[in-house]
Amino acid sequence: MKYLTLDTTTKVTALSLAEDGKAVAEGFLHTSKTHSERLIPMLDQLLHAAAWELEDLDLIGVVRGPGSFTGIRIGIATAQGLAQVLKIPQLGVLSLDALAWAGYGRVEEIVPILDARKNEWYSARYRWQDGLDGQDERKGPLCLTEACAVNPEAWLNRLKEMGGTYLFVGDAAGKAQELIRETLGSKATVLPEYQSLPRGAYAARAVWQKWQEQRDGEKPEPYYIRLSEAEVNWRKKEEARRLSQ
Amino acid sequence: MKDVYILGIETSCDETSAAVVRNGREILSHIISSQVRTHQKYGGVVPEIASREHSLHFEGVVQSALEEAGLGFDGLDGIAVTYGPGLVGSLLVGVAGAKALAYAARVPFIGINHLEGHIYANFLEEPDLKFPLLALLVSGGHTNLILFEGHGDFKVLGRTRDDAAGEALDKVARTLGLGYPGGPQIQKAAAGGNAAAFDFPRAMLEPQSLDFSFSGMKSAVLNTLNSARMKGITLPVPDLAASFQQAVVDVLVRKTLMALERNPVTSVVLAGGVAANTLLRQSLQGELKQRNISFVYPKPLLCTDNGAMIAAAGYYHFLQGNFAPWTLNAVPGLSLA
Ligand SMILES: [Zn+2]
Repeated sequence: MKYLTLDTTTKVTALSLAEDGKAVAEGFLHTSKTHSERLIPMLDQLLHAAAWELEDLDLIGVVRGPGSFTGIRIGIATAQGLAQVLKIPQLGVLSLDALAWAGYGRVEEIVPILDARKNEWYSARYRWQDGLDGQDERKGPLCLTEACAVNPEAWLNRLKEMGGTYLFVGDAAGKAQELIRETLGSKATVLPEYQSLPRGAYAARAVWQKWQEQRDGEKPEPYYIRLSEAEVNWRKKEEARRLSQ
Repeated sequence: MKDVYILGIETSCDETSAAVVRNGREILSHIISSQVRTHQKYGGVVPEIASREHSLHFEGVVQSALEEAGLGFDGLDGIAVTYGPGLVGSLLVGVAGAKALAYAARVPFIGINHLEGHIYANFLEEPDLKFPLLALLVSGGHTNLILFEGHGDFKVLGRTRDDAAGEALDKVARTLGLGYPGGPQIQKAAAGGNAAAFDFPRAMLEPQSLDFSFSGMKSAVLNTLNSARMKGITLPVPDLAASFQQAVVDVLVRKTLMALERNPVTSVVLAGGVAANTLLRQSLQGELKQRNISFVYPKPLLCTDNGAMIAAAGYYHFLQGNFAPWTLNAVPGLSLA
């Protein structure tokens, strides 16, 4: 089964062509150009290089957030457009789920952290599972918490209180190195950038795992976590109005 | 010649729209999913919410447009999309989606300037429109006089230096408590008012200029309201609405006639959201009839942001082989010239 994955939820455009969970071609661009400029040209190059036709694809996987709101929408619009013409199923996975694959076989808890701006991270905790029968297909990260937007200091302090050891991955990892070390000391490992930015291969694994579980596609919905600012303000105003009545 | 089928897609502001148009003039399907109600409680379009709505509705709108036209992607000759001007997040949903559709369907991908699209709505109304033509484009974001010598061959003669006509109408509507969207609300309120009740200024700028300025006119209304309020007087809203609408229309008509004196044309076309204003249509109609110049304006549905006008403009790009690269980006501040 041949499939494509798209991840445009951070500043990295990450693509992969994969077959039955194994990466066949991978695209990674972390330049000043926008997703909109890079995405289809990169897909076109990958298909050519791999000698695949679009029509060979059986599935399109897309990373549907959390991450940049605009990035999420570009990924989903592109996946949808391709799937709509090709009449093939789609599957959405979370950015954090995909990144957790960087923690293959680790004993520490895996903690993807993505820059959510406003001094917050998108994060969740995962544990690597080897699977009952030791089959490679059954291995994968198991999500322990819901994905959420967190204050970095508060999140690190909570992890410290829990007393575990942690592996950090994600586009916020590089900048947060000092902060993580200050709070968690030797209990934390921070992956270097070449392993911790989103990669097509990570998304390819996450999509394959989900496909194994449900054997069916679904329309990917954007996963923003946050409401728009206007909505937040409106709700606050409504709440105040209700209380004053 | 073989018929040409273009799918036009528009997501630049608060309407998600797709349409299939045959040979640039015949609308086979036209789907518009409006977000007006979603934004109403905020008193205007909220960009992030608009983008989210486009993302939710894009696929369904495209699907319906094809089904209604009785076509599959293999029946299309090209896919045209608005890439600017507009809200960047909203534009990007359309550009990314349309690009993927065109790439997968292996048909030419066409990028359309939203303003050009508005003007091409007139070719859907009157397919035999003749060049040279003068276009008066009036919307919430733009006020332009544009001279067209042929398809894709145009020159901007005048533009607004501050507020767009529609923007001024919106702001005055808000101040008068008439709500959003402002243009239609002003028109409704003005229907029962006296247009001569208040003498608001008609800003004409330098004698030779074809540019516009509506900000001072808008301020005049606000000042009138404020000084009345301080004296404890309540002014009749219908009269204020009618007088302001008259002032805006007077300026638009006078500048159009000035442009005609210097640039003899066969036809004048009206475009943009404010083109739906009845007073503006009637005033221009009267003036142009006297001068024997044909006057075309789109029906109200085609004055709003819509996919059909993008498909119509896309058709002429298609004929000229004017296609966009896969690197096309959204350009929120895209201008006409
Ligand atoms: Zn418009």
